[in-house]
Amino acid sequence: MATRKKSLLKVIILGDSSVGKTSLMNQYVNKRFSNQYKATIGADFCTKEVVVNDRVVTMQIWDTAGQERFQSLGVAFYRGADCCVLVYDVTAPNSFKNLDSWRDEFLIQASPRDPEHFPFVVLGNKVDLDNRQVSTRRAQQWCQSKNDIPYYETSAKEGINVEMAFQTIAKNALEQEAEAEVINDFPDQIILNSQNNRPGNPDNCQC
Amino acid sequence: MVQTNADGCEYKERLIASVKKEVKQLMEEAVTKKYVHEESSSVTSLCGAVEACLSQGLRRRALGLFKTSSTTALLHKIAKSCPEAEHISKLVQEIEAMDPNKRSSSSSDSFQRPPMLKKSSSNSMQSASSSSNALALASTSSAASGSVSVSVSVSLASASSSSIALASMKYLWIRLALYEKRLTKIIEYLVSNASSFYDRDSLVADSDYGSILSSLLVGPCALDFTRAKTADHYWTDPHADELVQRHRISSGRRSSSTCSRPAIINFKRSLNTSSDEASTGSFKSMASASVAKDYVESLHQNAKATLLYGKNNVHVLPKDVAEPMAGYLSLHQHIQTLTIKWTPNQLMNGYNEADEGEGEDIDKEAFWAYALNINVDEIVYVHCHQSRGEDSGGTVILVGQDGVQRPPIHFPEGGHMQQFLSCLETGLLPHGQLDPPLWSQRGIGKMFLWPKSMRRRILPSVMESVDETPIDYVFRIVSKSRHEEFAATHSILDFVRSTPRRAQLSSCSTTGSSDCSNKSLSIDQYPLESPLLLQHQHAQNTSIEMVCSTMRRQIISRAFYGWLAYCRHLSTVRTHLSGLVHGRITPEMKADEEGLTRERWQLLNVDGVLENATEFYRLVYFGGVQPELRQEVWPYLLGHYAFGSSLEERKRQDETCKHYYETTMSEWLAVDAIVQQREKEKTARAVAKLSSSGSNSGNERTVRAADLDAGGELENEVFEDISDISDPGDLEFDDEQRQQQQQQQGQVQQQKQKQQQQQQEEVPVSGMHLCVKPIPRAMKTSTDSGHVDEGENFNELDEEQEQEQQEKINAEPPPTMASCSASTASSYETVGVGGAGHQATSDSRSRSVLSPEYLSAEDLQLPEDNDEEEVKPPQQQQQQQQQAAVIITNASVDIANWERSPKSGNSQQMSPVQEQTPVLDALQQPKSACASPASSNGGVYSSELLEQFGLNLHRIEKDVQRCDRNYWYFANENLDKLRNVISTYVWEHLDVGYMQGMCDLVAPLLVIFDDESLSYSCFCKLMERMIENFPSGGAMDMHFANMRSLIQILDSEMYDLMDSNGDYTHFYFCYRWFLLDFKRELVYDDVFATWEVIWAAKHIASGHFVLFLALALLETYRDIILSNSMDFTDVIKFFNEMAERHNAQAVLQLARSLVLQLQMIIENK
Repeated sequence: MATRKKSLLKVIILGDSSVGKTSLMNQYVNKRFSNQYKATIGADFCTKEVVVNDRVVTMQIWDTAGQERFQSLGVAFYRGADCCVLVYDVTAPNSFKNLDSWRDEFLIQASPRDPEHFPFVVLGNKVDLDNRQVSTRRAQQWCQSKNDIPYYETSAKEGINVEMAFQTIAKNALEQEAEAEVINDFPDQIILNSQNNRPGNPDNCQC
Repeated sequence: MVQTNADGCEYKERLIASVKKEVKQLMEEAVTKKYVHEESSSVTSLCGAVEACLSQGLRRRALGLFKTSSTTALLHKIAKSCPEAEHISKLVQEIEAMDPNKRSSSSSDSFQRPPMLKKSSSNSMQSASSSSNALALASTSSAASGSVSVSVSVSLASASSSSIALASMKYLWIRLALYEKRLTKIIEYLVSNASSFYDRDSLVADSDYGSILSSLLVGPCALDFTRAKTADHYWTDPHADELVQRHRISSGRRSSSTCSRPAIINFKRSLNTSSDEASTGSFKSMASASVAKDYVESLHQNAKATLLYGKNNVHVLPKDVAEPMAGYLSLHQHIQTLTIKWTPNQLMNGYNEADEGEGEDIDKEAFWAYALNINVDEIVYVHCHQSRGEDSGGTVILVGQDGVQRPPIHFPEGGHMQQFLSCLETGLLPHGQLDPPLWSQRGIGKMFLWPKSMRRRILPSVMESVDETPIDYVFRIVSKSRHEEFAATHSILDFVRSTPRRAQLSSCSTTGSSDCSNKSLSIDQYPLESPLLLQHQHAQNTSIEMVCSTMRRQIISRAFYGWLAYCRHLSTVRTHLSGLVHGRITPEMKADEEGLTRERWQLLNVDGVLENATEFYRLVYFGGVQPELRQEVWPYLLGHYAFGSSLEERKRQDETCKHYYETTMSEWLAVDAIVQQREKEKTARAVAKLSSSGSNSGNERTVRAADLDAGGELENEVFEDISDISDPGDLEFDDEQRQQQQQQQGQVQQQKQKQQQQQQEEVPVSGMHLCVKPIPRAMKTSTDSGHVDEGENFNELDEEQEQEQQEKINAEPPPTMASCSASTASSYETVGVGGAGHQATSDSRSRSVLSPEYLSAEDLQLPEDNDEEEVKPPQQQQQQQQQAAVIITNASVDIANWERSPKSGNSQQMSPVQEQTPVLDALQQPKSACASPASSNGGVYSSELLEQFGLNLHRIEKDVQRCDRNYWYFANENLDKLRNVISTYVWEHLDVGYMQGMCDLVAPLLVIFDDESLSYSCFCKLMERMIENFPSGGAMDMHFANMRSLIQILDSEMYDLMDSNGDYTHFYFCYRWFLLDFKRELVYDDVFATWEVIWAAKHIASGHFVLFLALALLETYRDIILSNSMDFTDVIKFFNEMAERHNAQAVLQLARSLVLQLQMIIENK
């Protein structure tokens, strides 16, 4: 009601083609898995209302095309993002290697105010498959090296960790937004806040 | 609101209409959302409307309801005799008693109820339960008392929860009655007992309206309202379904033609009651409301303008309105100009809609048409009319320089007109003045009784009746700084005015104006005409002529400027849009024509020769192609077959294409094999790494052991595999082998199916998968066998290699047909031989080129063995079968499972070669003879090429697997065909590479043709246009720019919306439409129909028909888009949700008419 402040969190899902971006989004939003998804062309988004820290926020989750050729399209969609979800396929090492370039590309195109501390979340998808090729440790190492990005291993098919991952995403996105407000109001507090409230930690993933 | 008898009926009509509207809104919500939340704004507005009806004509005095409009008191009053009312009344009191803070707001709706009344009503209505309840509430404010009935406690619990807001407390009793489903009963009671509560002419007392009111509410009273906080309870973007459904409901009552006002659906609607939402609302009426608010506020506070005069309740009689309307009159001074503004009260802040009983935004918007905004510069005369003898206010009529009267402004009594005039005069200074000056008249009396000498009496007879005679004055506004042209006009008019006739008609100081400086100036400006002007006696006719000529000049100049603007507009159209359509308009189909039917096709296609291209295209464009004809017709449409070609020519063409396609395919298949091999190695390494880095030590050991062992043995396998792929052309196989092979295939297939069941692999199995490759397994563990091979081959085959390379260089893609066949033959052979280095040493040269059947027959044993041996310990395995030695054992189930998927993928890839073997045989026999029998693969393909193509293949594989797998055609091995066509294309266009979306473009072609080579050729033709849409080309931006121009020309309202949302310039919601020619937007059958029209349109109407399709799609939902004021993201979401649910035929028809529309505009230029 009157105290309820509506806010919109814009979340972008990036990653190589067929790592499961669309599936993750739909698993989270609609609690459904379908093996009928086609390659995403252009971009699509879903919205979902979530309650984070007793606040109702609308998450606008953008699903993008996976082929890097289509990144030029991204600028329009990346703008104003509050959180970026990097997805790779644990059975496809290349998709993991490309996380670097996805991250860089995002930072260039979205040009967030504070690129160093922009909230990312990394999801290693398809853990339900047996032929895993990227070890948890390797992924965690990478995440740690990138300013402690929270890391989750998910399965869009089985719905493993999806809810939890997106809760973190929402939380971090919200903190990012809150930080932006703080920064606007009290420029002096940037450093303090950004250190103390650093979203995410590597311990998030216990799987 | 004071009601006069005259408009009483109309007012009642309006009240009922507003109830009707709100009921409808609420029922719509109930239908579309399945439930209605108690706090929904629809509920609030319905309650508001009902309240307005009930308070109309209420006999307050008789009932002792002094000065209150609240019907709550009425409810309490009837509670004694009406059980439903009693129930509700009880509830209301309990809630009010519960939270004293909310009492004031809850007890009255629009007026504060006087404290005395509150007290009396609660006193009189106190009941046992409410008092006990109040006690309970004293301890806890939120708990419901157990002493009340169940239904009461439910309501209490909900009402007492802290979430209940002021908004929901409004119209409290009506609300509760609605929730409790007793509202109809209460109103029925009121209607039947209207005589004791209502005036005779009130709505409730009216025999018709009263019953209408109660019956209207039957529906809402049947609804169940919820307080449940579902996920959708919070405001979310409605789903596209809901938007369309709502639109259908509401467009029933309004005509949905494009010219009509867009239907106001207002589901993001928030009334005044929910101010929270109002501030964030983004829809149009909200936007306009904020503009309106700004406007109204600018009347009072404005940095740019000074408020010289302001008076409320000034009546103005706008055109087409019977009654004068009250409004706010203000006079503003800007830097240069003076503006008189009048704004109807309905638009002013604080105007309570509920009071008026009409809460419709539509009505409110209509009032804007009545608002006045007059630039004083344009006003020449100020006519003042006033009744003489008493202060009865006055009327001011402003007359513009064009002689047009502005609506009369009626000032209320009290000298306001005089004040206004003096303010006007002050405002005019120093650059202008009223003529005659006001001060001379004002000097004497405070009461604006002007000296008689200054009055002009119009009718002598009226003059007799002294008190009734109106007093009229005319002031001229003289502006010294006025533009010369205007001054000239003015002076002429002035002159006319000063002629006796004019003076008679109106009034004014006839001589007073003659000394005006303005006039003399104007006379100087017209030296030619001035002599005429000076001759006053003859001046009359001349001056009229002058007026006419001036008017003529003005009209002409206006017409000229209008024409000029139109020309500019047209030149925009011409420069930007004329290229989009053909100038020639092709006549539309006759009523009896149905596109390209079989009969028409037979008529056109005489003796297998299609000559009349124009007629052919016309039929397709306007009517489409009969589905069963498509296979025949599409090659023409795509430009694959030439018009006028004979049957034999086409047959030959097909054969050439097939040949070309197959050779090209064999080329890339060879590369594919190498790529596969490399990939497996990489994967193997990754797995090894993973397992070694992981905690699974047993696994690690096995892999390493396998690695070590693999060294020598692997090569054979790698070998066979490659030669297998690359030698489809060799035909030295016999029937025996074939039979044997088929038997084995049967077995393998069974096993494969078993495997797949286990794995739930998505790859479909088909009877056509003839050979199963052992390589993946081999490659996985052999870390570098491929490279070793290459190296060895290099050494062995030095001499041939050079020669080979040269050949390659000449023939590398894109090869011409002639060189291609040679190079292909050589390339796959070389790969085969190169890969088969070791085997070649053991076999004879001629044997080195093996038939695939032969090899696969050999290979086929492997999977069987593999399956059996998976459980065997490594040593045993190695001894038993060399090839199988590579296999990783049961130690790691993970890896064993993982192996299979690449393997099955591989086998899938191979199948087409198998299928086509006979054809290939025939074609390639001669070539294989002349090709050099041995060479190395290492020199043939650069590693960049391999890498590049490998990456492409990988992507193709991924997308093909996902492409339309729910469509029947692609449920089986046809996906392989799709992959082959795309891979061939990509191989031929490696510079372009594979891009997502190509699958979607090939798929429909393949469905129609069911033939790889024809699909490939047609796809190439299609891609000539489509390739530009992909990120490498620039067509997409051009499309967006053209869309923008088109919308600007063809739908200005939509354009305004888009223009206001800057984001719209990107038109990204059209991206997928253009990239895939609407393939993802429509179901397959519609895609076919749409594509053929697009292709035909190129020759008939427009080479950019997709633009018109896009526009048509947008226009189909324009009302929804406009009324919800969708922005960029909303539109993307809407169309993504609407995908495959459009009415394609209607969209096509609209697109064609849009083309015609633009053609007409251009033609009329």
